[in-house]
Amino acid sequence: MSETNRNRLMLVIAILMAAIYLFPLYWMYITALKSGSEMFATPPSFWPSEPQWATYGFVWESRNMARYLWNSLIIASGAVVLITVLGVGCAYVLARYRNVWVDIGLFLILMLQVLPASLMITPIFVGFSQLGMLNYPRLAVIIAIAAKSMPFFVVLVRATFMAVPQELEEAALVDGNSRVGAFFNIVLPLARNGILVSAILIFMQAFGEFVYSKSIIQAIELQPASVGLNSFMGPNTNEWNNIMAYATIYVTPILAIFVLLQRRIVSGLTSGAIK
Amino acid sequence: MKRLLSSVRDGRGFDIVLVAFPLGFLFLMAGLPLLYNVLMSFQEVDMFSLGTFLRPFVGFKNYTDLFAQPETWPILGNTAIFVIGSIAGQFLIGFGLALFFWVNFPGASWLRGLFLVSWVMPGLVVGAIWNWILSGDFGVLNFILKESGIISGNIFWRSDPHYSLYAVIMANIWLGTAFNMILLSVGLAGIPGDLYEAAELDGANAWQRFWTITLPMMRSTIGAIIALGLIFTLQQFDLFAAITSGGPNNSSNVTQYWAWDLSFRQYDFAKGATISVIMIVFVMIAAIVYVRSTRHEVRG
Repeated sequence: MSETNRNRLMLVIAILMAAIYLFPLYWMYITALKSGSEMFATPPSFWPSEPQWATYGFVWESRNMARYLWNSLIIASGAVVLITVLGVGCAYVLARYRNVWVDIGLFLILMLQVLPASLMITPIFVGFSQLGMLNYPRLAVIIAIAAKSMPFFVVLVRATFMAVPQELEEAALVDGNSRVGAFFNIVLPLARNGILVSAILIFMQAFGEFVYSKSIIQAIELQPASVGLNSFMGPNTNEWNNIMAYATIYVTPILAIFVLLQRRIVSGLTSGAIK
Repeated sequence: MKRLLSSVRDGRGFDIVLVAFPLGFLFLMAGLPLLYNVLMSFQEVDMFSLGTFLRPFVGFKNYTDLFAQPETWPILGNTAIFVIGSIAGQFLIGFGLALFFWVNFPGASWLRGLFLVSWVMPGLVVGAIWNWILSGDFGVLNFILKESGIISGNIFWRSDPHYSLYAVIMANIWLGTAFNMILLSVGLAGIPGDLYEAAELDGANAWQRFWTITLPMMRSTIGAIIALGLIFTLQQFDLFAAITSGGPNNSSNVTQYWAWDLSFRQYDFAKGATISVIMIVFVMIAAIVYVRSTRHEVRG
């Protein structure tokens, strides 16, 4: 078998496997377009006979999705800003030095990274309620998410700073820059891409966050889209086409960002987790 | 004062300021809650004493009560099945896919990256999709299994106590496989190619090369990935909330969902804190294994 034929065969198998793996995603998009009766047909149809595009508008209006998504956006943006402002400097220092204190700091950060949110929410909720933070539920969720996700961000961004040659910073210092000047003018611009990708990853995570929002935010007007989806799915629901339309509207922006930035996101992710 | 300012602008002070705020924030928002959790697990906490720190101290009563409850051991057992089943599925499928994509062909890396969509999607959306796929009467999975002759009658994945835990495991395997595959691919790419050339010259076949080169060379990567898998499966909450809510009758309940359920459904914060403390100890052990297996990289 020649090289090109082998490559073609491998590509076909790979596409087939990707198709099987991504079938749940396909099923979400297809179900959202089915009518109420087609959805429950046996055998199920794998292509909608009459696509019901109106479902999207109906779900958007009736579930008040604009409000949910707006809250998700506020929470995710707030968390990303807080994490970036605090985390970049921390990652820089942890990348710049090699000593026992840095090792201890890294170890503590890795330890905090692994705490499951559903286990940490009990003390966080009780503590926040004692401090009166529950009166600002979205802010409380932003802070909780920041504490949860910052270690991951620091680990990723630290890998980026490690790749910036230290000689460049030293040269800037010799040229008369202060540490502050060298950091903002030389190091930060060089690490910009890595920081941006890590921030996008954190944003995507925070955009789908559920445990903290569900537990802390009681008022419906302030809840994000994940909580909205949860309350849409009652125990005996049969509105699956509407639920899938909701899910489609919710994830399509995330998937679009991911597919566009796929290469950078994947390489950023792997550099932090293993290497 | 002036010297302090100039140190912040142009010396060690700059590093200390940069690192002090985030570590202080993490200590306040993650370290303190951790300690508070341990404290609460030794206290009697109810809705009336929620606002005060000075609650009645009850020693190990929460722990003994917890293990006297009839559902505790089954739920711990479920957690073990969930963790082992999920990790085994994610790792084996992920390793298979990683080995396949290791054979370089045009488009391989792009297609491989595409698998990661399962990982970037919100957990609740993944849960909603699988909830619908696993539906008893109209679910597409039952249809496919029946058509291919694997089962004869519909399986009620979500409401049959024999299957509900496996329904969540299936969804979790789907969610985590891609992440495993990507990390395993990184490990595979790090094996020097001349090892294989040498083995081929010595007459080793593909099977022997896998067992004598690939697996031994991947040992630290595999250790890290299994530890990460343990950490991630013990964090999995959204799928339970979206697919079974731990039901029916706790048959698919696991500790990380149960802890939340105790605190926020039954308002038994002390029990919630107690089970959290127990599980956090487990997660910490996994984290130490993970840190140890990536230690070379952490040290640089």
